[in-house]
Amino acid sequence: MQDRKPVYLMAPALGWLTVFMVIPCLLILALAFFRRGIYGGIEYSFTLENLALVFDPLYAGIFLKSAWIAGLSAAIAVIVGYAAAYAIAAAPARRQPMLLFFAVLPFWSNYLVRTYAWIVLLNREGLITGVARLLGYDAEMPRLLYSEGAVVIGLVYNYLPFVILACYAPLSRLNPEIAEASRDLGASGWKTFRRVILPMTVPGIATGFVFVFVLSIGNFVTPALLGGGQFQMIGNLVYAQFLTANDWPFGAALSMILIGIMMGLLTLQTFATERASGARREES
Amino acid sequence: MSQTFLSLQNIEKRFGSVRAVDGLSLDIRQNEFFALLGASGSGKTTLLRLLAGFETPTGGSILLGGKDISRVPPNLRQINLMFQSYALFPHMTVFQNIAYGLEMERAGRAEIRRRVGEMLEIIQLPHLAKRKPDQLSGGQRQRVALGRALVKRPHLLLLDEPLGALDKKLRGDMQLELKRIQHEFGITFIVVTHDQEEALVMADRVAILKDGKLLQCASPHDIYEHPNSRYAADFIGVMNFLPGILQRDGVRALDGSLIQAGRPAGARDGDKVVVAVRPERLHIGARKDGNGLKGRVVAMAYQGLDLQLHLKSDLSPDPVLVRLTAHDAESNPLSEGDEVSLGWAARDTRIFMA
Amino acid sequence: MATPAAPRLMLMILSAVFAFLYIPISVLVALSFNESGLPTAWTGFSTRWYGELMHNSDITSAALNTLIVAVVSTLLATLLGTLLAIGVEIRRRKGRFLETIIFAPMIIPDIVLAIALLSFFSLLDVTMGLHTVILSHVVFNLAFVCSVVRARLKTFDWSIVEASTDLGASTATTLRRVVVPVMLPAIVAGALLAFTLSVDEFIIAFFTAGAGRDSITLPMQIFAMIRFGVTPEINALATLVMAVSILALTLSQRLNRGGLPGQ
Repeated sequence: MQDRKPVYLMAPALGWLTVFMVIPCLLILALAFFRRGIYGGIEYSFTLENLALVFDPLYAGIFLKSAWIAGLSAAIAVIVGYAAAYAIAAAPARRQPMLLFFAVLPFWSNYLVRTYAWIVLLNREGLITGVARLLGYDAEMPRLLYSEGAVVIGLVYNYLPFVILACYAPLSRLNPEIAEASRDLGASGWKTFRRVILPMTVPGIATGFVFVFVLSIGNFVTPALLGGGQFQMIGNLVYAQFLTANDWPFGAALSMILIGIMMGLLTLQTFATERASGARREES
Repeated sequence: MSQTFLSLQNIEKRFGSVRAVDGLSLDIRQNEFFALLGASGSGKTTLLRLLAGFETPTGGSILLGGKDISRVPPNLRQINLMFQSYALFPHMTVFQNIAYGLEMERAGRAEIRRRVGEMLEIIQLPHLAKRKPDQLSGGQRQRVALGRALVKRPHLLLLDEPLGALDKKLRGDMQLELKRIQHEFGITFIVVTHDQEEALVMADRVAILKDGKLLQCASPHDIYEHPNSRYAADFIGVMNFLPGILQRDGVRALDGSLIQAGRPAGARDGDKVVVAVRPERLHIGARKDGNGLKGRVVAMAYQGLDLQLHLKSDLSPDPVLVRLTAHDAESNPLSEGDEVSLGWAARDTRIFMA
Repeated sequence: MATPAAPRLMLMILSAVFAFLYIPISVLVALSFNESGLPTAWTGFSTRWYGELMHNSDITSAALNTLIVAVVSTLLATLLGTLLAIGVEIRRRKGRFLETIIFAPMIIPDIVLAIALLSFFSLLDVTMGLHTVILSHVVFNLAFVCSVVRARLKTFDWSIVEASTDLGASTATTLRRVVVPVMLPAIVAGALLAFTLSVDEFIIAFFTAGAGRDSITLPMQIFAMIRFGVTPEINALATLVMAVSILALTLSQRLNRGGLPGQ
């Protein structure tokens, strides 16, 4: 086909993305620099107040809390997910696709439903309490639902399949002879893992961590449902600015911070990937 | 048979700063089986794609029956291409694949059925009409690709490495098959290949391409007997090259002896040249009216009836190849390590600039 | 990858992870068939709660809305995403900027896209409703369709396109008779994926559906219901929603032996 045809094929979709993604995102960027009107709404004058407000001690606490929960969730998800991916990659080749499919399947079912499943398990009349009573545990059960732990479990549960996928990709591409070469050269199984396999699969780990972190810190559904509004994540704060507090410019500034964190981490992740793959390839 | 049918006039194709085809002119006759021969990167595939219409030349013109077609899009040219990968439509049956081109011509259903049926007979696959490509063997796919291109009765059929994907035995059969079909249809075939043997067996004429330029264009016999360059001599068949310095009375060889040979056009005394001789033109025993060389047998190999010798000789840094007939070999029993004298006739001697 | 790692350890890891992944949803499914509706006492198998769903007009109208959104946005996204994928793949140069734009809808946090679209629509004074949800869903749906189709195009034999042209077909005919039929499994797989994503999508719909009760989608309805605790009806509804996603995804996977995007 001639060189100009791709343009016509791409134009409708790129046009759509421009109107309904690029322009709205630029709008948010602009919004962050406008003043909030007295009765909500937007006053079109330039200000840096919104960005300054983000660093106000009042919100710094929320930021730290969000980052702590997102970081904890991401770390747990990466450890569990990497182990699972490793086990899948070590399974017989013909079983791997099926194992992977079932590991990922929950990821594509409804997020709310998956979160709700944990409400069913954790609530005061829920299954876990019921089982504990059945086993003769009579003392007062600690509150399971509406706690920090519940939120972390919910986030790990929801994003684990993604981490498994991300870690499986580099593990499955590993040439088994590389591990064998390491053993042949005298390294133990653990040393082989730590010195050879782990460094070569860092990109998958980095991808998994970044995505769980970013998706968690911007989440407002899980804290609302499993945290019961006990504490706020950045996502909840953004939600509130737009739907209850009616301070859109501040909400826009907050979401810019979200994007900033994501881009920063993605850059780090790209860096990690490039280091791991060395000078092997220039372009994917 | 001899009128010019397709004429390439000073064709040039540049990709950025690379000249894939560089000022190439060529005339191809009606009903000719023509081979474009060259190593990879010689521009032969680009030339084929220019003819098919998938590329437009950056200079020169392509005349088909006197009309310039260099800017006609591929779907409007009465030229068809048989792709190297065969490019069969995987979702269509053999019948549908062959019918596709006729449907594009808006042929009637009855006509399509008749012509596809005829074509299936010619390619000897009528029993496989309902199969899909992935249920066919390599040789069968090749036939379908050929039938699909031929059924449109193009003025010109282009074949891109048509036998490249087949195993060696099947290749031999298909070479003859292609000749037969070409003869039957009376269509001009242009084959692109890097396999010189294939070109020699099938083609009426062969063009050797190098770096986008035409090196030589002649019948296989002429190229074999009278290559016009060292490259062509080396590319077609096997050739021994003996380096030397051109002098007034012959060529001074590496060991100081004098070889009788002509002189390359425009060469002057003192120029570096190579003398060339085919392995089968070397005979045991010195001769008075020709050239000779001495060597020691370092390896022997039977190739069918012939005996192939590798000689270490002072005349050449590379081993000299000799091909003896069974008769010659029997009357002169040889073993490894033997010293042997060989001679060859002056008319079998070629000379090129080094 | 062949590793000397202990097979028993590997088996334990897999069992634990799969138990973690599947026990919660299995409990949910089991409870949805519990006659009593209580989480602690099994009183017998019943489809009673599914029947009750059908009589809840809030749920049925939300389901209908979701179906409308999913079908329309999937059709649009499939058309746009497929053309985009073909366009990107036949272009010889790969632009980093272009790749970013195409990739962005899949990685931007939902909440950011949601508030961006909300701001955009309100700035333009667009009355929000199902139509704005559809417009918004097309954004990420087309990106996913595009990625599935592109994955298939990577192994596509482009010489059949040239063969079609060589045999006399115009570009449109080649697209219709060769490219689309060969790509159809991947296109349908992408469409099914988009459909599931759209059926399940909550955050963007939540922000762009406007305030009217008649533009509530099923996930919005579910969110409203589960904030106030566990009921047997939600169990049944959740099971149904999950069944739809899993069915569509399994079908998508079957069609597109290449696997789910990201793999």
